[in-house]
Amino acid sequence: MTVVLTERMNAWIETMGCHLCVATLQGEPFVVLGRHAQVMAEDTVAFALAEDEVKVAASVLSENPWVAFGVSRQGGIRAAYQFKGIGEVLRSGDVFDTVSARAKEEKGIDAAAVLSVHLTELYCTKPGYEAGLRLDGMAPEEVDAWERQRWKDVPRKRA
Amino acid sequence: MVKFTQEMKEALRVPGKGGSLVYLCTSSRDGKPNIAAMRFVATHMDDKILIADMFLLKTKANIKENPQVAVAICHPLEEGRWWVFKGEAVDIEYGFPRDFDWYGANATDILDEWGNWNKSEPPDEVPPDIVFPKAVQRGVVVVHVEEAYSIEPGHTGEKVL
Repeated sequence: MTVVLTERMNAWIETMGCHLCVATLQGEPFVVLGRHAQVMAEDTVAFALAEDEVKVAASVLSENPWVAFGVSRQGGIRAAYQFKGIGEVLRSGDVFDTVSARAKEEKGIDAAAVLSVHLTELYCTKPGYEAGLRLDGMAPEEVDAWERQRWKDVPRKRA
Repeated sequence: MVKFTQEMKEALRVPGKGGSLVYLCTSSRDGKPNIAAMRFVATHMDDKILIADMFLLKTKANIKENPQVAVAICHPLEEGRWWVFKGEAVDIEYGFPRDFDWYGANATDILDEWGNWNKSEPPDEVPPDIVFPKAVQRGVVVVHVEEAYSIEPGHTGEKVL
């Protein structure tokens, strides 16, 4: 199974940010905001996390790296997807430097860490018969065509 | 025991009535998280969040094996609704014993009032390319909230209930 994000998905993720869900190995879920999201590769998204956000997420991720996320704000309706993958908390290095610099410049976020999520699963969450449809089993061009048949809107850049 | 504020009760309603879209976050028993947006939301008593079971798949399976859930406000956030509610959930489906009790919430009361939610609060505000053609409700997820924390930037993790 391969996840290849479409251009439209990239736009929604980066413009709106995401709600990140992590869970302990005993199944206790926690949510933090990934206010600055940056698509690093066709299957990788990085989030700049401030110190308070790291405090909630990092200890959970240290025991269980699974991350599920959905797009924040209007993206909860318009970008009807769930993304899942394996997260890695970065506190230094090239990815940390790149993402934290852009997060500071664009949103004023002082990143204490960057959560890089390597995506392995992609689901449609549109209510109805397609709810829960797994899209990462489709070829990338099929996913792109599938999405274009349904939606073409991309969000305006947030101030 | 928690008690929702008036602002929380106003936020935890369907978006068409000034409420919020929420994310219902669940986990398998061994810790694989799941997150799905929900439109049909309400409060019951002072500490219960209700969510319609219409198209739940993994969420439903997770709740059946692990009742621990989190409900986060998805949209709008800027109105001060920076909250995540945590607690234990059950999916009260049709066929449940009518006297089933979940932390004081009665199955008959829940299903009588919210069992045909699409009719009582139709999704008129949902865009036509997203709205479902026919809603089939199988039950109501009842979350018994035990705590809530903030996701406001700079205050994430701080207890609000």
